[in-house]
Amino acid sequence: MNRTGFLYDDRYQMHRVGNYHPEVPDRLPAVYKGIADAGLLSRLTLIKAQLPDMKWIELVHDKNYIQRFEAACGCGNTIFDSPDNQMCSVTYETALLAVGGILEAVRRVMEGQLDNAFCAIRPPGHHAEVDKAMGFCYFNNIAIAARYIQKEWGIERIGIVDFDVHHGNGTQHIFEEDPSVFYYSIHEHPSFAYPGTGREFEHGKNLGHGFTKNSPVLPGRGDIEYKLLMAKDLFPAFDQFKPEVILVSAGFDAHIDDEMSNIKLSTEGFSWIAEKIMEMAKKYSKGRLISVLEGGYSLRRLPELARNHIQILLER
Amino acid sequence: MLFEFVSDFELSLAKGDTMFVSRSMTRNVITVDKEKNIFDAQELMAKHRIRHLPVVDPDNRLIGIITDRDIRSALPYNFFRDTPSDEEKARFCSLKVMDVMSSNPIAISASHTIQDALLLIQDSKVGALPVVDDNNKVTGIISVRDLLRAFINVLGIGEPGTLLCVLVEEKVGQLKKIVDAITEENISFGSVLVARYWDKNKRAVFPYLLTQNVVHIKKKLEKLGYELLDPMQWYIDQLPQHERSENPEE
Repeated sequence: MNRTGFLYDDRYQMHRVGNYHPEVPDRLPAVYKGIADAGLLSRLTLIKAQLPDMKWIELVHDKNYIQRFEAACGCGNTIFDSPDNQMCSVTYETALLAVGGILEAVRRVMEGQLDNAFCAIRPPGHHAEVDKAMGFCYFNNIAIAARYIQKEWGIERIGIVDFDVHHGNGTQHIFEEDPSVFYYSIHEHPSFAYPGTGREFEHGKNLGHGFTKNSPVLPGRGDIEYKLLMAKDLFPAFDQFKPEVILVSAGFDAHIDDEMSNIKLSTEGFSWIAEKIMEMAKKYSKGRLISVLEGGYSLRRLPELARNHIQILLER
Repeated sequence: MLFEFVSDFELSLAKGDTMFVSRSMTRNVITVDKEKNIFDAQELMAKHRIRHLPVVDPDNRLIGIITDRDIRSALPYNFFRDTPSDEEKARFCSLKVMDVMSSNPIAISASHTIQDALLLIQDSKVGALPVVDDNNKVTGIISVRDLLRAFINVLGIGEPGTLLCVLVEEKVGQLKKIVDAITEENISFGSVLVARYWDKNKRAVFPYLLTQNVVHIKKKLEKLGYELLDPMQWYIDQLPQHERSENPEE
């Protein structure tokens, strides 16, 4: 059994969105319930939210953007950069707590107190660009974690696996010229789904050429296609790259019962993905893996999906 | 399938002059003199990574067009396979631009629309059209590449968004209802395309919406009585028969 951390805090529900918005606070209690009902809590190390040192966020985002976000939130704006990004007076604070909590989870893994961790945070991060909020995301959590690991812990090669059903445009753009971070994303084909990037021919730029890999999946293809594409595009790439730490953008919105996509991945399909990522972590990164929640909007399915995910982190 | 632009009501589909040749053409056009030899012309093309050179007189009036293919056709087929010696080159040096160019080339005016340019390019089977003013002076060139860029812009797919497909009956006012319903939700349009002859008496409307959050608007459109086509359905229809039967569950 692994020593697995679980980042969870009621304060992540403070960030509120308007009507008819899927990224609701209730997503997190759904995640918690699945894990608690399965009796897993006693086997996990609970990690609480905390505020981060701003210098880590500034490794990824423009200072100007951070100030703009804080100001917009402080003024009582309900929308930031696009109507997709709805917010309330404490959205900025919640976003900071998400980053801080994740960095704490990373620290414990890097210090060897934990083998791996799952971070159930809001708001999500992978659409956030250096200077722009997008697709419900404000700070690019996973990108900040990657930079923090490199700077604070002297790690050279980070591998990111993003299985949210939407392409992580922000993460890709942040690292597309950087050969030290390999970004892999599998998602619904951009001609059918937000945000319209992540095509096969986007494979990094300049020095980073070959260190970005995208597997777009046509609607309805589900488990079989995911298995084929990950075997073809991800496994050989990581075998060559040999990431020293693996970060996961864990979105559960490709599920067949999730209204946000048409991919039709099964619950078992998600377990298969987690198992394969764990295998790679064992093989290349001494088990070091930090998984961070992105999307996943089916309140009915989130309990089982989060439970299976963290159970695989614990037991594989 | 015929895609047609929605032009019968105001949409933020095109800003002002975006739909005109003047906006999409390349302005600093590289031209060549008819007296130059074909290797000079070829060097120009290679240097600027282009395949068409308008041929002009000293007053910049259009008298022809020369393409990389015109030059290749004028030379032995294996001329460039082995690096040609100076001697071999000298044999063909007497070939001038005027000897291999097309005279009376098809040109277009900057005030024409990009639809004009598209149809003209399709009809005349050329890769680029010189753009000329009333005095036949060259002011630009519009190539297939320029048109592609213009269409990516018109489709709005350079910006993040989500594509929907709504099936509507062929009667007046349908499109307005759809657009109104979407506008009421404060969602911006990247573009709207309409495919005619989708089904008998039906059209498919493809709104490209600049948002990730389409769950609610989809439900709203369904409540209004529209049929939303599953994206899976519209791409499976495009698959070759044998691939379709391999996926019986779909």
